[in-house]
Amino acid sequence: MKAVNWGRIVFRGLNILLIAFLLLPIVIVILFAFNSAEFIVFPPEGFSLRWFDKFFTDPDFMGAFFLSLKLALITVVIATVIGTMAAMAIVRGRIPGARFLTAVFLSPLMLPAILTGLALFQFYVIIETGRTFWGLLVGHIVVTIPYVIRTSTTVLYNFDTSIEEAAQNLGAGPLAVFWYVTLPLIRPGVIAGSIFAFIVSFDQFPVSLFLVKPGQITFPIHLFNYLKYAFDPTVAAAATVTIAMSMSMVLLLEFTVGLQEYVKL
Amino acid sequence: MVDPGRVRRRFSWGGYLLLAPSLLLFLVFFILPLAVMALISVLTGNPVTETEVSFTLGNYGKLTKDIFYLDVLLVTFRIGFYTAAAALLIGYPLAFQMARTRSKTIRTLMLMAVLSPMLIGIVVRTYAWMTILSDQGVVNSTLMEWGWIAKPIHLMYNEFGICLALVHILTPFLILTLTGVIGRIDLSLEEAARNLGASKARTFWEVTLPLSMPGIMAGSLLVFALAISSYVTPILMGGFSVITLPILIYQQISGVFDFGLGGALGFILLLVSLVIVILYHRAMSRLSRVAGV
Repeated sequence: MKAVNWGRIVFRGLNILLIAFLLLPIVIVILFAFNSAEFIVFPPEGFSLRWFDKFFTDPDFMGAFFLSLKLALITVVIATVIGTMAAMAIVRGRIPGARFLTAVFLSPLMLPAILTGLALFQFYVIIETGRTFWGLLVGHIVVTIPYVIRTSTTVLYNFDTSIEEAAQNLGAGPLAVFWYVTLPLIRPGVIAGSIFAFIVSFDQFPVSLFLVKPGQITFPIHLFNYLKYAFDPTVAAAATVTIAMSMSMVLLLEFTVGLQEYVKL
Repeated sequence: MVDPGRVRRRFSWGGYLLLAPSLLLFLVFFILPLAVMALISVLTGNPVTETEVSFTLGNYGKLTKDIFYLDVLLVTFRIGFYTAAAALLIGYPLAFQMARTRSKTIRTLMLMAVLSPMLIGIVVRTYAWMTILSDQGVVNSTLMEWGWIAKPIHLMYNEFGICLALVHILTPFLILTLTGVIGRIDLSLEEAARNLGASKARTFWEVTLPLSMPGIMAGSLLVFALAISSYVTPILMGGFSVITLPILIYQQISGVFDFGLGGALGFILLLVSLVIVILYHRAMSRLSRVAGV
């Protein structure tokens, strides 16, 4: 009996170590963000908010931050609206080849995103539009729609259509049925999809890599360019701000839909 | 009364209307550009601006003749393989614990611990590893402080550093795939093995592990695919000294402006990814067959 318990304790201990491996780097970045030293030094020297000050007053960092925020917000609105529409059509529209369509819409998740960026860039050069904000936006919409479609189709498939039929029989028009019956029931899937779309767009690197240009640099690309030449804790402060953003998104997801629900998807 | 046939027909038209925006977007800005990329890789120039454009396999010929390109492919696949293997070793125990724990709180906490790194940008996560592994990083400065080493050991600027950071970044994907598969294993099969006298270890090796094989395959393929197509981590952790396929593609496009060669490299990455997608679906469909029995 005792040997079994030891095995369990060792296994638990191993798992705690592995979780530490997943979380430790994040803890270290946050630690450095509040460190007063000029360079990354360990152990940290003293508490300071100077790197946050530098981050929030640097025009390049702020410009990139707000460009990414704007891009992510527009992306979320468009991807959520047209993605949910497509999910409705796939599940309810009696359209032939619905399975094939789903595979097409999910394919940006399966194929390397760097190829989406590369192909779009070559395409924009050939049709001579160059790297515009709209071109960048379209790239972001293409890679975020799969998340919206995946979460929305899942809730639509697990959905009792008799409620909609009841509303229809009681005289509600298609729009009224959608607005008062369907939408409230599929809302968790739509919200989960749009939160993922926001995070994927805001953190998007490979698609943006080919589509940014001087004066139109997204936040992750700016962080990357900064890291190539400087290594001071401003990046740690910037990282802490984005970590706080992501964490609040995760909590929002947990409270609105529940993480368990997402993982089943 | 509404005629049901009429309702159905109208709804189906509505279906196409609902589908139109996303489908058009995908046709014009996803499928067409990928096709154009493949086309450019077998042409001598830009078919829109140049008049004298002919068919060529020169770009692919260049790739097979030069040892440099073959070496890049080898390095890329090696990094993908090591990363997938290490992610499996780390991911399996966690996925197992997560699938089997009876406490809902522990499961939610583990899930948050696994998911939260996933939701932090790839640049930030790579930066975290740079602060830990660089010559002035946490590990080296601590070891020097304690007097264990005299000068920094190179933990990054090489394939080891790239793999370590990639394992950290990609393991959550494997855990999520594997947890679902392990969670669907019928516990009565393990109990039967135990009742027939098999030890815990033997039950694991001969029952649990074979039954989790589809998840192991699918999860490792996913990590491999993501590892060979990553750009940020190899370039920053490798300190510009290791060249992988995505780095080479970016150099060809943005540095040399060679669309033909860049397109050919992109097409190779596309083919490799398609093969992985097919293998992934095979593994997953094997799972549904096993679960269906």
